Amino acid sequence: MGKRCRQGDPLLNTGVVHSSVWARIKARAVPYFVTAPSKLVAMVPVCVLAVVLFMQGGLAHGALRIDITKGGLQPLPIALSDFVDLSPGGAVLGQNVSGHKLMEVVTADLERSGLFKPLDPKTFIQTPAELWQQGPNFRDWRLIGAEAVVSGAVHEKDGKLVADFFLHDVFQGTLVGKGKRFTAPVRDWRHVAHRIADEIYTRLTGESGYFTSRITFVASKGDMKWLSLMDQDGANRVDLTHDRSLVLTPRFAPTGEQLFYLSYEIGQPRIFRWDLYTGKKAIQGDYPGLNSTPAWSPDGQYMALTLSKDGNPEIYLRNLRSGELRRLTENNAIDTSPSFSPDGSQIVFNSDRAGSPQIYVMDANGGNARRLTFEGSYNAAPSWSPRGDYIAYVSGGGGRFRISVIDPKGQNGRALTDSWMDESPTWSPNGRVILFSRQSGSQSRLYTIDFTGHNERLVNLEDSINGSDPSWSPLVH
Amino acid sequence: MKRLATLFVTVLFLGVLAGCGAVPKEGPESGVGAAGSGGVGADGSGVGRPGGYGSNLDDPNGMGGGRGDMGRIVHFDFNSAMLSAEAEQVLAYNAKMLSKSSGPIQIEGHCDERGTREYNLALGQQRADAAARFLVSQGIQANRIRTVSYGKERPVIKGHDETSWRQNRRAELVSR
Repeated sequence: MGKRCRQGDPLLNTGVVHSSVWARIKARAVPYFVTAPSKLVAMVPVCVLAVVLFMQGGLAHGALRIDITKGGLQPLPIALSDFVDLSPGGAVLGQNVSGHKLMEVVTADLERSGLFKPLDPKTFIQTPAELWQQGPNFRDWRLIGAEAVVSGAVHEKDGKLVADFFLHDVFQGTLVGKGKRFTAPVRDWRHVAHRIADEIYTRLTGESGYFTSRITFVASKGDMKWLSLMDQDGANRVDLTHDRSLVLTPRFAPTGEQLFYLSYEIGQPRIFRWDLYTGKKAIQGDYPGLNSTPAWSPDGQYMALTLSKDGNPEIYLRNLRSGELRRLTENNAIDTSPSFSPDGSQIVFNSDRAGSPQIYVMDANGGNARRLTFEGSYNAAPSWSPRGDYIAYVSGGGGRFRISVIDPKGQNGRALTDSWMDESPTWSPNGRVILFSRQSGSQSRLYTIDFTGHNERLVNLEDSINGSDPSWSPLVH
Repeated sequence: MKRLATLFVTVLFLGVLAGCGAVPKEGPESGVGAAGSGGVGADGSGVGRPGGYGSNLDDPNGMGGGRGDMGRIVHFDFNSAMLSAEAEQVLAYNAKMLSKSSGPIQIEGHCDERGTREYNLALGQQRADAAARFLVSQGIQANRIRTVSYGKERPVIKGHDETSWRQNRRAELVSR
C-alpha cells in the first residue's frame, strides 16, 4: 500500500452491503445531495444507513486516505469517469460534452497535485452512463487498479450548471462522504470543476484543497511588465494593468479580493492597493525613497512594508485604516521582505545585519528578533506557510538560487529546487505547494513544487509571456 | 585614451547641465551607434545620454560608449553599497559640476540580476543613498536630490556574466 494508510482488510464484505445500499439509492433515482433539501427528506433513512455503514466499514477499519505527511509520495490510482450529461428532465444524454470537459479539468487538477494518478479512461470497463445509473461495479474498478472512483452527472438549469458527484472507495465498496451538488453560472464551469477537485482532494487527504484559487503575477514581454491574474491552473488569464509603468511584487489580501503591488507610475516605487471586483486603485502612502515589499497581516488590518525614509531600508507596520506608521526594525543594515505568521503574532523577514542576507523572525511589534538561517551567504525572500509549519525562502550558493524551506524554529531546513535563479516563493492556500518563478537566460517561468521537494511542475502560460513575482490567493468560494 | 575619456565626460556632462538629460531612455535604434556616440557628444551637439539600454552595449566593441557613461555612473561590488575610491572621485567631480546649478537631481540605484527582487530593491536604494550622501557631503543640498531604486529591473547590459553584472551594479545620476 505504499505510503497510504489503510488498516482495514480491503476484502471486507461491507462492499456488498454498500452495493445494495447503492442499488436502493439508484432504484429511487434520487441521489442524496447535500444541497437539495426537498430530496433529502425522502432520503433520510438511506442517509442514516449509509452514514452508519460508513462509520463501521469506513472509519473503524481504516478509510481510504492518502498519508500526505511523508515524502516520496506514491500517488493514489483514481478513476475519474466522465460525468454524464443529463437532460433537464434527468434523462441520460448520449454524449457527455459538458461532463467530459468538466472531468478534464478535475483530472488535470488532481494529476498536477502529484498525490493522485488518474487512470486512463480507455481502460474503464463500466461506461459513465452505467456507472451513474447502476452505481459502481467495484469488481470492475478493482480489476483496473483503481482505489477510488468518481461518478457524476451534470445538467443545465436556468443558465446555471448543476453538477452532482459521488466518491467511492473501491476496496471497501463504500461511499467516501456524501454525494454533493455544485451549482454555478454556466460561464464559471471551470470553477465547478475545481470545486469538485477540491472536494475529492479533501476527502482523500484530510486537508483542504487549493484548486479553487488564483495566481497574480507580473507578466512580461520584452521590456514591458504588467500585472496579471489567472486561475491556479493557468486558465482565465486577465491583465490588470495596461499603462507602461513598471509593476512588481503583487500580494493577495487574506480575503483574496484585493492586491497590494508596487508600481513606478509616479516615477518612484510606491505601493498601491487594487480591488479585484471594483477595479479601484489607491496609493498606500508616499514616503521619500524606497517603498516596497507590501505584506498583508492575516486580519487584513495592517501592512508590513519596507521604507528607506529614515536612512536605510527598514520594516514598518502601517495601519490600513488610519495610515499610522510604526517602525519595527532599527539598524544600519537592510531589513526587508516581511511575511506574517498565519496567527499574525510574528513576522519573518530578511536582513543583512550580520553581514550577509539572512532570514530572521521577530514579534509583530518588532521585538525579540532572532536569526533562523545560518547556512549559506544569501538567504532571502521568506514566505510563511498558511499552515504555519514552514517558511519558504530563497537560498543562494555556488552561483545558484534555490527555493528552500525551514521550520519557524530554524530546524529541518532543506533546498527543494536546484536551478540558476529561482525566487519569489508563495504558498498554496493549504500550505502544501510552493509556487515560484524561475529565470533561465532572459526567460522567466512560473513553477510549482510540493513542499516535500517532489513534483516540480511548470505552470501553463502563453508561450511568449514571461511570468514572475507570483502570489497565490486563498480559496475563492 | 584617458584624456580623451575625460574630455568626453566633460563635454557630455555640460550637455547634461544644458538640460538635455531629459532625453528619454532610448531603445536600440538611437543607441545603435553607441560605439561612436562619443563623437556625437564630442561635437558639442548636446545630446545628453549616449547609448541607452541593451543591445547596443552587448557589442564588446561598444565599450567605448560605456566608458562615456562613467561621468554619471558609479559601480559597486556584488552585494555592496560601499563607494569605491574611484566612485568617490566620479561623484566629487559631479558634485563640483552640479554645484554650479540648482536643478533637481535624481539618483537611481541598480543591481545585477542575481538575488531576489525584494532584496535588490533595498540594495539599489542603499546604492542610490550612498551616492546621494556623498554628494551632500560635497555641498549639494539634500533637498535637490531624489533617490529611486530599480533593483534588478533596469540592467544596462542584458548579459548573464560577470562583465555584464559589473556594469549593471551601479548608481546613476540623471536630471529630472
